[in-house]
Amino acid sequence: MQLHFVLGIGLVTLFVGNAYAYTAYVSNEKSNTVSKIDTSTWKVTKTIRVGQRPRGIGYTKDQKYVLVACGDDDAIQLIDTGSDTVVDSLPSGPDPELFTAGSDGKLLYVANENDNTVTIIDIARRTQIGEVQVGVEPEGMVMSPDGKILINTSETTNMAHFIDPVKREVVASVLVDQRPRFAAFTPDGSELWVSSEVGGTVAVIDPVKYSVKHKIEFTIPGMRADHIQPVGINITEDGKLAFVALGPANHIAVVDAKTYKTLKYLLVGARVWHMAFTPDEKHLLTTNGLSNDVSVIDVASLKVVNTVQVGELPWGIAISDH
Amino acid sequence: MNYAVFPIVVCSFAALLSPLRADPRYPDWPCTQPKVPELSAAAMWDGPSIENVGNTWQADLKVRDLVELIAARRTPLEAARKAITEFVVGTPAEKERKAKQAFAGLFETLNGQRREVMDGLERVSRKEVNLAAKIKSDVARLRELQDKPDADQTEIKDLASEIEWSTRIFEDRRKTIRYVCEVPTTIEQRIFALARTIQQSLN
Repeated sequence: MQLHFVLGIGLVTLFVGNAYAYTAYVSNEKSNTVSKIDTSTWKVTKTIRVGQRPRGIGYTKDQKYVLVACGDDDAIQLIDTGSDTVVDSLPSGPDPELFTAGSDGKLLYVANENDNTVTIIDIARRTQIGEVQVGVEPEGMVMSPDGKILINTSETTNMAHFIDPVKREVVASVLVDQRPRFAAFTPDGSELWVSSEVGGTVAVIDPVKYSVKHKIEFTIPGMRADHIQPVGINITEDGKLAFVALGPANHIAVVDAKTYKTLKYLLVGARVWHMAFTPDEKHLLTTNGLSNDVSVIDVASLKVVNTVQVGELPWGIAISDH
Repeated sequence: MNYAVFPIVVCSFAALLSPLRADPRYPDWPCTQPKVPELSAAAMWDGPSIENVGNTWQADLKVRDLVELIAARRTPLEAARKAITEFVVGTPAEKERKAKQAFAGLFETLNGQRREVMDGLERVSRKEVNLAAKIKSDVARLRELQDKPDADQTEIKDLASEIEWSTRIFEDRRKTIRYVCEVPTTIEQRIFALARTIQQSLN
């Protein structure tokens, strides 16, 4: 089985014509369900019962399955995208939260939040094959575009760890601001962006020199600074725009990825954490944990155009690549 | 009465209270949810600025009545939304005035209620800390008495009974705190949902 990315970062495909029906799957942390959304109608077409405390979610590379990290079950469940039922599970290690795949899709790397480890799983064989000790409370997971470096962020240690996936060891760690939750590479791999939820910043890291080259701060008029808590980061394939979810500020920051300047703030739902582009990048969907909905942003106009009610405490989102 | 269990109970008090001290900025905050002391209007409203509304919403009886209805958690959300859409009507200028005042009133009212709930949680948390200290001290005293060969059995019995009663109060309060910790979030969700309805009424 081949594997795709975590949180539905799809390939860009050019499409001219009417709205295309992609499928988005949203994990609902409190209701222990996954909501399936048709992006041509913006309606929930199915609610799938999964394990306890579903959070990280992502398609396999062949799009046959959607993987869901069920933290309280210590497992990653596989939803068959044909039948929309849970058909199997992977042994994830304790309290899995976010995960990412190797570039060939064969291995899955899972952050075990309460165990200070990253667990490595052979997906086809459904077995754990190794683990890497990292900092306290690992969460953010991303593989570099060339597949040579795996990144994990540890919330309490306040670090981004650079892991050699072949040797399965940490080769460098970069200190960032308080409580790093998420990491994303620019599409060309030249920068690593890491969000610090309590620090209120996004660190732009040179992944070769292992150094922070810039820190992005956010200011919203009338907003208390401690409400601005960056979590999810999504960067367009052309590397021009970055979207940063600001948690209880209930806004998405639209950032010029070259100058690091924030161009606009978009009010979405309450407690926005994670996002995913549709493959054509016409829309960006956000999960809003406290308003129990998903906001739909039209990327060309930078406007919120729709809201879709889902389950309780929506957390992660994955979108099909076709 | 198994007095031997008390030291274990006291040790567990310390463990129970430790998550209460996770954020050093707010040492009395007992909830696992991070404390957000005040809400920001900007986090839920990007309609016309309410900067100049102040308390003027209170001078308009219709706005006051609307705010009282929609702020009340006993009013179902659907009913609150309906009341809002029926209220925010008129010319564009009228609608804007009504929307601004409705949101300003709603925000001030519920933000205030939320603050009261949070103050109450911290008050109870301080009492819990004091009670835990008292229980710990009483258990140490009980141990001392039990070690004395000529200890007054009545005193031991009374002290044990006091400890049992204090422990029960501690546990009951702990369960209540856990439940009440959900309330600030519930209030925030309500303000956000109704703010959205008010804004949508302007479109």
